[in-house]
Amino acid sequence: MEQIMLLLEGFAGALTPMHLLWALIGVTIGTAVGVLPGIGPALTVALLLPITFRLEASAALILFAGIYYGGMYGGSTTSILLNTPGESASIIAAIEGNKMARAGRAAAALATAAIGSFVAGTIGTVALTFLAPAVAGFATGFGPPEYVALMAVAFTTVSALLGPNLLKGLAGLLVGITIGLIGIDSQTGQPRLVFGMESLLDGIDVVIVVVALFALGETFARVMTGIGRSTVQPLRERATLSRSDLRRSWPAWLRGTALGFPIGSLPAGGAEIPTFLSYTVEKRLSRHRQEFGRGAIEGVAGPEAANNAAAAGVLVPLLTIGLPTSATAAVILTAFQSYGLQPGPALFEESGPLVWTLIASLYVGNVMLLLLNLPLAKVWARLLTIPPHLIYAAVLMFSALGAYAAGGTAADLVVLCALGLLGLLMREAGIPPAPAVVGLILGPIAEQQLRRALILSEGNPSILVSGPITIVLWIAAALSLLVPVLLPVVRRRRSTLARAGGEPK
Amino acid sequence: MTTGMNEQATAAAEPEPDLSCDRRTALSSAIFGGLMVVAGPVMIVDARRLPGDGSAMGPAVMPFALGVLLALTGFWLMWRSLRDLRSAVRGHPLRSHAALRVGGLAAALVAFAAVLPFIGYVAASAALFVVTALLLGAPHGWRLYAGGWALAALAFLTFDRLIGLTLPTGPWGF
Repeated sequence: MEQIMLLLEGFAGALTPMHLLWALIGVTIGTAVGVLPGIGPALTVALLLPITFRLEASAALILFAGIYYGGMYGGSTTSILLNTPGESASIIAAIEGNKMARAGRAAAALATAAIGSFVAGTIGTVALTFLAPAVAGFATGFGPPEYVALMAVAFTTVSALLGPNLLKGLAGLLVGITIGLIGIDSQTGQPRLVFGMESLLDGIDVVIVVVALFALGETFARVMTGIGRSTVQPLRERATLSRSDLRRSWPAWLRGTALGFPIGSLPAGGAEIPTFLSYTVEKRLSRHRQEFGRGAIEGVAGPEAANNAAAAGVLVPLLTIGLPTSATAAVILTAFQSYGLQPGPALFEESGPLVWTLIASLYVGNVMLLLLNLPLAKVWARLLTIPPHLIYAAVLMFSALGAYAAGGTAADLVVLCALGLLGLLMREAGIPPAPAVVGLILGPIAEQQLRRALILSEGNPSILVSGPITIVLWIAAALSLLVPVLLPVVRRRRSTLARAGGEPK
Repeated sequence: MTTGMNEQATAAAEPEPDLSCDRRTALSSAIFGGLMVVAGPVMIVDARRLPGDGSAMGPAVMPFALGVLLALTGFWLMWRSLRDLRSAVRGHPLRSHAALRVGGLAAALVAFAAVLPFIGYVAASAALFVVTALLLGAPHGWRLYAGGWALAALAFLTFDRLIGLTLPTGPWGF
């Protein structure tokens, strides 16, 4: 009941003309850049961080929420019409949706993706409304030892899950923490890793690192490999669903939501696992199994709902314990920090009205997205005809603007360029940028909490495993490191045993 | 029929190469690992010059530990990548003069940083837009130049005039 009252107060804040305008701008920009190939929600939010430097915190966060949800909607348009998934969670939409588009059913694929996203986004936001305060309430009892253990969970899970393998994830994470250490140590005033360069004394702005690794790395990669040629499938009719399409879609939307939100809420969940799981479930349950791989509408409806529900779920650990579990969440955390706000249990107590306005704006944004996406599907589809070289030239131009806005000096642009080249090397090496961003943001916090914990215990490190919560969290951290290492070994042994068992004696 | 069987036998004898291991990826990973191996000791040296503050964890502890971890992880990454490189296959080819193009774009960004205070945001950004588009393979033409100017002017109006972000102005005021 208390949550409903707080949410209603949030709506009072979100429904002011100015906030509605920012939400509309957010969802429009989010959809537009989400539609543009190669530009996923993480890159979009990173690129637009500097836009909000002069806005008040609530307006900026509403804008980002709109961009976040809008980017998820727009991504499906690109996957369906261009067969180019912006990120791994959109791969299924590209597989099944593009087959539907090639068979002349682009409108139905877009409609099931848009309505499914709306249904999942709304149910996910309702779940967020009721779950987030409870999780935050539980986490308010966290002290420095619990935070250290929580950071360990964050580091191990993002290293293990946000990349092709644990080693590469770990490499990305360490690079991020290293960049985070550059500058003056906040507790002792000692300069670290500045090598006599005055411009590094203040550290490297998170915005510059995020823009460099995501946007510049992508642009450099396109310059090196070429922009490719893709064929856009034409969209001839209005995006609507026939009765039969609706009958096949709605159970898939609900199942996708049921998988997406809880898995997305887990510290190691993300959007990829529920999306692929939803596709498998739909394939198993469908009466039209023969259509899978050739353009089955359930194969678009379920995964699209799952990844949108997961997007709402990702906000639970982000807002309640300050744990980003996806690349976009890591960039949104940067946005919070640029306003001096630290997501975590204290956020609901210290900035309650702001958080509830943000949650209410997610409902508003979802409705706006549905109204914007279905009738204007043809307009968004037309964006795909913009030549990619113009898109990436604009991305670079806005990256430079963002770096200048964040730092205000030419030296920041040189740092941007150097980090962009590092981003290119990481991309070429298959090292994901998301763990680097998580390390950059959480590394200094982890160091601070570790110091506090050791001061409390007068230097005794056993304080780090002194309570049940810390023990559970350390076990979770160890498991997330061990499972990716042990799983292939178990699989290999099983297949060897199976082969040995299958061979004639 | 016999030919088909022979083909099957040949296919069974020679397993297909593992296409998941791309030569470029393995080489880049090895270079990245090498950079980490170099960065690790640099961090350790930097950490060793920091004074202790009398507490259990001074300012040097984190960079020292991180330096050790960087060197070890870098070595592991380099070793595995060099091992993968032996069996790696050539993946998608790069564009012609790819390294030169990347260098050109990096140089354009540094040049942008250098001229920005003198010629102002609009002219510098329009030039950066045009150079980037050309390096990406855009055709020459008045539309490209006009598009660059229009986008730069629009960004200036939005950020400088509307949002209040102070951007450098050239001798002509924009």
